[in-house]
Amino acid sequence: MIPIKYNLRSLWARKVGSLMTIASTGIAVGASVFALGLSAGLDQTLEVSAGPLDIIVLRQGSSSETASGVSEAVAREILALPGIATDQQGRPLAAPELVVVTYLPRRGNAGSANVTIRGALPVSRDLREGMKVVEGRDFQPGLREAIVSRKLAGRFEGLGMNEEFVVQDKSFKVVGLFEAGGGATESEIWTDQKVLAQVANRTGGTSSVQIRAASKAAQETLLNHIKADEQIALKAITEVQYFADQAQAGLVLRLLGQIIAFFLTIGAMFAVANTMYGAIATRAREIGTLRSLGFGRGSILTAFLLESLVLCLVGAIVGCLASIALTKLFGGQSAGTMNGVTFTEIVFAFSFGPNVLMKGALLAVFLGVVGGFLPALRAVRMKVVDALREV
Amino acid sequence: MKFIPLIIRNVLRNKIRTLFTGSSIAMSLFLVVLLYSFLMIQDEILEATKPYNRIMVTNVQGLTGNLPIAYLDRIRKMDEVRSAIPFSWFGGRYREETIPFAQFGTDSKYVTDVLQEYKVPDDQLDAWQADKTGCVVGALIAKNKGWKIGDKIPLKGDIYPVDLELTVRGIYDGDSTVDREQLWFHFEYMDEALKAKQQPMAGNAGIVMLRAKSGPIMPELMEKIDKQFASSDAPVRAMTEKEFQQSFMEMMGSVKFFINVISGIVVFSLLIVAGNTMAMALRERTREVAVLKAIGFGRGTILGMVLCEAVIIGLLGGVAGALGAKLLFATVDFSRWLTGFGFLYVPWRTALLGLVLAGFIGLASGIIPAWRAAQLSVVDGLRKIV
Repeated sequence: MIPIKYNLRSLWARKVGSLMTIASTGIAVGASVFALGLSAGLDQTLEVSAGPLDIIVLRQGSSSETASGVSEAVAREILALPGIATDQQGRPLAAPELVVVTYLPRRGNAGSANVTIRGALPVSRDLREGMKVVEGRDFQPGLREAIVSRKLAGRFEGLGMNEEFVVQDKSFKVVGLFEAGGGATESEIWTDQKVLAQVANRTGGTSSVQIRAASKAAQETLLNHIKADEQIALKAITEVQYFADQAQAGLVLRLLGQIIAFFLTIGAMFAVANTMYGAIATRAREIGTLRSLGFGRGSILTAFLLESLVLCLVGAIVGCLASIALTKLFGGQSAGTMNGVTFTEIVFAFSFGPNVLMKGALLAVFLGVVGGFLPALRAVRMKVVDALREV
Repeated sequence: MKFIPLIIRNVLRNKIRTLFTGSSIAMSLFLVVLLYSFLMIQDEILEATKPYNRIMVTNVQGLTGNLPIAYLDRIRKMDEVRSAIPFSWFGGRYREETIPFAQFGTDSKYVTDVLQEYKVPDDQLDAWQADKTGCVVGALIAKNKGWKIGDKIPLKGDIYPVDLELTVRGIYDGDSTVDREQLWFHFEYMDEALKAKQQPMAGNAGIVMLRAKSGPIMPELMEKIDKQFASSDAPVRAMTEKEFQQSFMEMMGSVKFFINVISGIVVFSLLIVAGNTMAMALRERTREVAVLKAIGFGRGTILGMVLCEAVIIGLLGGVAGALGAKLLFATVDFSRWLTGFGFLYVPWRTALLGLVLAGFIGLASGIIPAWRAAQLSVVDGLRKIV
């Protein structure tokens, strides 16, 4: 085996060339990680939104709360079903909720988008793990007050602390900002259900019923029960399923991420191959010397593959770090796009989790091995005599 | 001019290196051209709709608000209006597909006047008008889904709690900027079904699309429409078709920004790749450059020759990448996999932009190596062993 030190020193000896290769692989991997992090972030936001025991009840045929409707009478029937979890006071953990959409301008003149407003009940809060008001106070029932996700507040006009926004022709005051553990709730405005129903002319009905089942078995029973009742014409699905369906909304972003990663990686592969060809051409005599010292073809091949791997891995690490740092620096913690199912804005954070970084590392290994293979093969094929004679 | 053979020789000297650099540029430019096509198509479509003077009317609250169908007649009666139609997004599910394609409830009598560039053969239009549950589909979606005239298309209501059982009565076509992936059915059919179920959603047109008699009167007309319904239960907002489409792009949010960021990064990366190649090439030729200088080649000539070489390599990649993308999308129909976000083709403008970009990358990558070659001292160069 040729010691890896030899390769490291060779890379060091040709600093400019090595740096440039590191830069180009770094950019390819970094940009891919950026794009993959974007779509992973959207997926994750939808994933963490779902409670494992939660059920959402919608009108039959509708696939989102925004398009759904459940009458008050039916909602009351559902709340009385057995198998619903209860809180310490023995009240059922279930809430009929009203969802209304309003069209608000983005900050910084970046156009407008639909934003979800949820008319909530006190129990709605208990159905969202980790939801808490982090600034200001909660809204008071009966008043046109609202609390807004902190992420949303920074993105839309009128949603900041103490600002006002309009639904239909009535204005609401933002009295508090909340966080909700990064889920889809963080793309919403919350206000009192009665007030919202009046303003939006939706009295006497809600959009959906959110239920927490007492157990897995109870969840199954509840689902079947609601499905079987043809009179009420509702569909009940687990929240996990509900958000998994919405993940389709990220299809464009996911496709975009994969296309970007694919082309940049292939492009960078050629660049790596070029550098390695160059490296091997200028080191023909060295290779000849190594061979005549007794190093076999196998160890030459491994040595050069290792060299290209090292180049690419260093590039990948630099690229990933730069990508993460730049995203953090330019406020990329929150990005927004249209949820293709609800047609409302969904706000999400970039996610550079192990999954994404793993993909980045895989790209780097692929780059290194494939890009370095042909050049390394050439190094192996050199005849010792010719190589030694080369200038 | 007489140096051209020499420059070409230099480009071809290390064929593998030129091939790889060109390929690297080609791959990345293909991506940039693809991403920009996505943006530029939107512009091109908007430009193409301009002569038709179309105005879209929605509730002030946007697409989710109510726009009573009764408004349609009041709009039609306005002097400045040539024709008007409802254009209701149905958003129904077709078979097992999760993302709905575009389905609009409209008025078969006027739709071909408002959307004049959408061509429906006369006999098919008559057949559609005669069939209450008939529909007309775009040529592209008909091809992708294998629909023929007479086929049944069942749509399960999602936004609306009614299902539609449609029969294809016609297929419309148009040039590349026309969205040929829509389905039109009779608004009445949906509305009557809603009324039969006593749904409060009945009577909502969602969108009214109208065609003004001329372009200059459009701002005035939009203001008039806004005012006319301002104090009703459902105040409206009128905007030009262009503004309407743009508002859709805006809803997509940061996509445009990300495309710009990624493209910027890609171009920068290519500068490094191509620059590295040129630097390597000239490092190997140091002695040769010194010889050229020794026999009387001027600095300017050397500089020009190296720059030319760099531009040629860049353009090779550009031709393969940018024109390759154009060609690929012109010959292979990708719309089958891209339903949901429109149709994709590569406009000439984008392909040419890619080509110019490639030339620029070549030129910029050659500057430093060319400068160093031009500055090379003959004595040092001749002495140097690479």
